[in-house]
Amino acid sequence: MLRPEKMTRTVIVGSIEGVDATVECLYDLGVLHLIDFTRPDEEFQLGQPLAGASDASQRLLKLRSMIRSLELEEHEPAAKVPEAEIDNIIEQALVTLDLNTTKKVEAKLKIQSMIRERESEISAVTPFIPFGIPIEYYSGYDNITAITGTCSDDPEADLSSKVGDFELFTEKLKSEVTVALFVKTGDRAEAARILSQHGYQELKVPKMEGSPNVIVERNTKDIAGLQKNLDRAEKDIEAIRKKFADFIIASEEDLSIEVLKAETPLRIAESANSFVIDGWVPESIMAKMRERLDNESCGRVYVESLESQKEEEPPVKLKHSRAVRPYELFINLVSTPKYTEIDPTIVLFVTFPIFFGFMMGDLGLGAGLVAMGLFLRFTSKSASMRRLGIIVVVAGSMSALFGLFVYCEAFGVPFHPPAENPTEHAWSSLVNIPLHPIIDKLVDVKELLAISLAAGWMHLTIGLGFGMANNWEHKKHALGKLAWILLLFGIFEEIMSVAGNSTVTSKLFNQTLFSPLPSTIVLIIGVKVSVPALVFALVGIAALLVTEGAVVLTEVLSIFANLVSYARLAALAVGHGAMGLAFNTMLFPVILGDNIALSILGALALGASVVFFIFLLGSLSIGIQAIRLNYVEFFLKFFEGGGTDFSPLRYSRKYSVETT
Amino acid sequence: MALDIGSGLALIGAGLAMGIAGLGTGIAQSQTGAAAVGATAEDPKMFIRGIILMAIPETVVILGFVVAFLLLGKV
Repeated sequence: MLRPEKMTRTVIVGSIEGVDATVECLYDLGVLHLIDFTRPDEEFQLGQPLAGASDASQRLLKLRSMIRSLELEEHEPAAKVPEAEIDNIIEQALVTLDLNTTKKVEAKLKIQSMIRERESEISAVTPFIPFGIPIEYYSGYDNITAITGTCSDDPEADLSSKVGDFELFTEKLKSEVTVALFVKTGDRAEAARILSQHGYQELKVPKMEGSPNVIVERNTKDIAGLQKNLDRAEKDIEAIRKKFADFIIASEEDLSIEVLKAETPLRIAESANSFVIDGWVPESIMAKMRERLDNESCGRVYVESLESQKEEEPPVKLKHSRAVRPYELFINLVSTPKYTEIDPTIVLFVTFPIFFGFMMGDLGLGAGLVAMGLFLRFTSKSASMRRLGIIVVVAGSMSALFGLFVYCEAFGVPFHPPAENPTEHAWSSLVNIPLHPIIDKLVDVKELLAISLAAGWMHLTIGLGFGMANNWEHKKHALGKLAWILLLFGIFEEIMSVAGNSTVTSKLFNQTLFSPLPSTIVLIIGVKVSVPALVFALVGIAALLVTEGAVVLTEVLSIFANLVSYARLAALAVGHGAMGLAFNTMLFPVILGDNIALSILGALALGASVVFFIFLLGSLSIGIQAIRLNYVEFFLKFFEGGGTDFSPLRYSRKYSVETT
Repeated sequence: MALDIGSGLALIGAGLAMGIAGLGTGIAQSQTGAAAVGATAEDPKMFIRGIILMAIPETVVILGFVVAFLLLGKV
């Protein structure tokens, strides 16, 4: 639970003939985390790929290029294809497919590019249609220059006053004027200057011959013909796709697995007559693996467990029950714990929903979150989103429970009007729920704060305890963590003693945990300081000085800041409650007013603001705060991370079925 | 509800404690946050370090909240 799966360093040795069967068997078992062989010597070299590796790779390459050209990347086969069928027909099928597909796809691409060419010709000549001048007449003169383009307005008046001879064709479009100006070559510069004053932009005359109308007509006819060909080609390709898609995807998967297996010997050591596979295996599966290998290789393979050296870090396979596993997502976001470290997933499993529920605490919003989580869980394709879905469902349920039994409110509206504000709108005017709040978010702020700090003290103490366990072999650091625990205890005792009997939580702590301690109080600069708290804190600081050195004194205040940081639990609960109250106070009078139109508008506004501000933004920020307390305050007390994930030799088949 | 001038000043103080502390945290987080997002975009492993750096200035606003709350107790 707190430790990852125990690993055994394992060496598998056998005669070279048995390498195929051994690799096959290891992939079937999926339990060996292979350590790559990196130091070849005279005896042992890197292994050779299994027979058939290069054939399989070539076929795989062809299949993958086909998948791309047939656009099958997203295709989900309807039925699984048996491996035997793939093996039987793959060669023949590849030849057929190669012939058909390559030709048809090439033809399709060619037609598409021809269509594009013609379309661009049409768009190039279209602006010249209104002038009715054949395209070749725009160029090829000795003394006349044609200037074509668009202007923001008609330049004719300016041209006639400044340029002598010219011929101007214009066509007014929506916001601009298309112009074709023929001037003497000598007047060209002047004409260009005048045109530029009218926002001239050049239109290049295409290199073609004939009337623009004829060109457009010819091209349109061509396109229609080409489009027919394209449709035919696409139909053919679609037929190939329909017939072979499942087979292609399944074969790609099957061949990938074959190549993966066939290339595994490249990671192990082989001599002329033997092979050596080195890796880590979970201790619990060791016996099963030994037995299977023995059976399948007819005793030609020898499995040896080694004493692992201290400097070798085994891979980490977190070990959790199904309920806790989704919370590994939060750990993966940070880093895999080291093999020797405590795995904090179980603490996240407990604290995240409680912190979340405590801050959100609303029956209606909690139920909404449960629905959202279920939606994520059952519709999402990515595994981590499905995990997140479960986390959201649990967090939502916890919020609903807090909302139902502790805060007694739904959608920010209390079940009954609070005693402090009897006119506040409440569910009691619609339905009578016989539950009364244990804590009122907006009144019992002190209580919420006391609970938050108590939760913080426990959470931090557990973190420091984990730190002690992680450093158990370095006694000095372990003692350092104990010193922090003492200092933290002192600070917490002081806070509870100042709070005295004003909150139920502090009263409870003072009467139980702190009751054996003397309740002597001294005044230090006008502040009441509990003597036992002072003693604990001073002993803690002295122990820190001895174990961690004087530098650590600069961090003494940080533990206080860490504890106070948990006040955010109360702050968000209060803030969330106040936000709900604010929207309700503003919009309920409108909704309950006489004007029906206004009532509907008010109800819509209230619904939108509750969904957006309180539900979506609220749960996002509460979720971040709940996880942040774990990441920053808790993890920093013990967590280092940087472990290697356990990734055994394994593959997954989705679209093909293994046949034996 | 009539309040004496002391209570009024305490309420203003509570508001200032919360507001100014929030402003300070906001200024600090705007800079660490921008840098943290940039760093995480380049290397997702920086995510947790980013969150930790983002979290440091938050203490200020929480202390502000506690002070505001203590002042409210004086009203």
